[in-house]
Amino acid sequence: MKKGHPKMKSVSSRPWLFALIAVASLVAAACGDDNDSATTSTTTPTTGQGTSDASSDASSSATRISGSVNISGSSTVEPISVRVAELFENVESGVNVTVDGPGTGDGFRLFCAGETDISGASRQIKDAEAETCAENNINWIELRVGIDGIAVMTNNDNPLDCVSFADLYALVGPESQGINNWSDGQDLANELGSSTNLPDMSLDVFGPGEESGTFDSFIELVLEDIADERGQDAITRVDYSANANDNVIIQGITSNSGSLGWVGFAYAVNADNVKLLEVDGGEVNGGEVDGGDGCVPANPDTIASGEYPISRSLYIYVNADNAADNSALQAYVDYYVSEGLDVAVPDVGYVPLTDDSKAQTLNNWNDRRIG
Amino acid sequence: MAVTFGRVLDNKTSTRIEREVASAIKRQGSDWKGNTFYTLLLVMLVLTLFILAVLIYGVVADGWDILTGWLPSFLGGTLGSIKAFEGQTLGVQQGLAGSFWIAVFVALLSFPIGIASAIYLEEYAPKNRFSNFIELNIRNLAGVPSVVYGLLGLFLFVEGIPSITGGRTAASAGLTLAILVLPIVIITSQEALRAVPATLKEGSYGVGATRWETVRRQALPYAAPGILTGTLLSMSRAIGEAAPLILVGAITGFLGSNPSIVDPRQLDDAFTAMPILITGWTQNPMPEFRVAAAAAIVVLLVFVLLLNAATIYLRYHFEKKREA
Repeated sequence: MKKGHPKMKSVSSRPWLFALIAVASLVAAACGDDNDSATTSTTTPTTGQGTSDASSDASSSATRISGSVNISGSSTVEPISVRVAELFENVESGVNVTVDGPGTGDGFRLFCAGETDISGASRQIKDAEAETCAENNINWIELRVGIDGIAVMTNNDNPLDCVSFADLYALVGPESQGINNWSDGQDLANELGSSTNLPDMSLDVFGPGEESGTFDSFIELVLEDIADERGQDAITRVDYSANANDNVIIQGITSNSGSLGWVGFAYAVNADNVKLLEVDGGEVNGGEVDGGDGCVPANPDTIASGEYPISRSLYIYVNADNAADNSALQAYVDYYVSEGLDVAVPDVGYVPLTDDSKAQTLNNWNDRRIG
Repeated sequence: MAVTFGRVLDNKTSTRIEREVASAIKRQGSDWKGNTFYTLLLVMLVLTLFILAVLIYGVVADGWDILTGWLPSFLGGTLGSIKAFEGQTLGVQQGLAGSFWIAVFVALLSFPIGIASAIYLEEYAPKNRFSNFIELNIRNLAGVPSVVYGLLGLFLFVEGIPSITGGRTAASAGLTLAILVLPIVIITSQEALRAVPATLKEGSYGVGATRWETVRRQALPYAAPGILTGTLLSMSRAIGEAAPLILVGAITGFLGSNPSIVDPRQLDDAFTAMPILITGWTQNPMPEFRVAAAAAIVVLLVFVLLLNAATIYLRYHFEKKREA
């Protein structure tokens, strides 16, 4: 109907052009004063004094450093770095710290591309990631900042109290593909030397996805040895509900009576209505699992002592070259390895390092130990 | 021969219609089909409202401690740790700032481009295979999942023109979401323009108006309420999107600066936005953050509600103007 009128042509694309030009000039105007020159340095910070009175020293000389520190990486380490940033802001308010937490793997991808100064990690850097870093001439300093257990959980309805590595391998390992009842894993678990009586319940597995360091750590600590013995790939079954949000994993475990899942201990300890399973991490001997230490419950003490078999360390990786150039980054890490380890780690509910390990971390930083 | 609704009917049909009308008049309200349909519609409406009520009740109840306890400092607070929650310095100001600037970008970019495109396609473009092809593609673009736009934004704005956008910044996010809602703005504006009665435009041409005058004085004023509703609803969509922002690099943990919401200098800085802040907080191990997330959801809901209220008011305003 509207086309009923003649004189149709020739107007063509002019309104488009107009709009585009108008918009382009707008954008240019909006983003004109760009270039956040990463203002670094003024005073060189006194590096390496790692005592708890560092804060009172520094607060008297507050806001003398300016610059920015860009942190990404593990969502498990994120709360620690956030807390350190908060405390650090009171000391050096001129430093602009940014903390994000997409996951250990995603973090290393950014870190090795030179986009971030620090990458949090809930596992150590992988060879492939280290190669990428090397290709891009990124030298890194690995600093251990905390310990975290991986809690294995089930629903409160489940009569089971303790699982062995063999049971976990039988239920979520590469050979468990397709199993949807706990008791279906019994034969394999027995074969591996487990004496657990797996209940006759439907099995729904919940866990973090591949981008997560918790996923990698679980494989490395629980599944890898048995998988190697049996000539299998060290992977989990593929048919489980993966989610990047640990609280969603916990929700899944709460609402399914036959659930089985694993998350970082800090998440599990704050969850209601889930049962934290004790874990028996017996050694693997020629495909057989011996008694090991027996069932160990997950709690801060057993995790800190390493008695709980699924404990892993939490790390930050610092870009060494940036650390040499950027006094803001130096000051932040100085603060991290002193106050941070003493105050921030317990503040956010994580298990602090032993004093020896803290000293080790401090030394590694002071020596700028690369690689 | 009888004449009904301008049609000439034969005798047989007209007798049938007479009979039906007579029986309808005699029936006296035993319209059970109509009543069932009416009840069904009502049930659907109540069901929808019930789901909404449960959702709102859920988030308000979860966020109650903050909403009734320290809402003002929550509105001015920043991203932070559990200690920030305990010290009541945690809050949404950085998220509100990010969402505000995204809204500004959407308003400044998608609205003019989108409405202009719609006017061109409806009023100027010749109807041929090429314009059909374009329309088809716009419709497809409106259905593309938002993560895909996130990838596009990452490629175009974050990695493509970092010298202009500054990389992972609020500017990149605003540009990405402006592109995301562009097809929706075009389609809704087109629908509004299509609803303009042809008689109105033909009348305008008939008294010698040019095409520009017809569009300016007849089509646009008549379509304004519809265009407005469509564009502002797409704004609500942009404000609620999280997935593309994650790809563009919105921050979940901590941002060192907390400038005022309307300060444009934050455009080339790292940013966060309300939906990102909410997802970030639901991922924190501490249960207190679920309270914060719920309170932030309420803040976002109110934000969107205000926007929709403004839409309804403006729509009413334009409709009154149209009738006058």
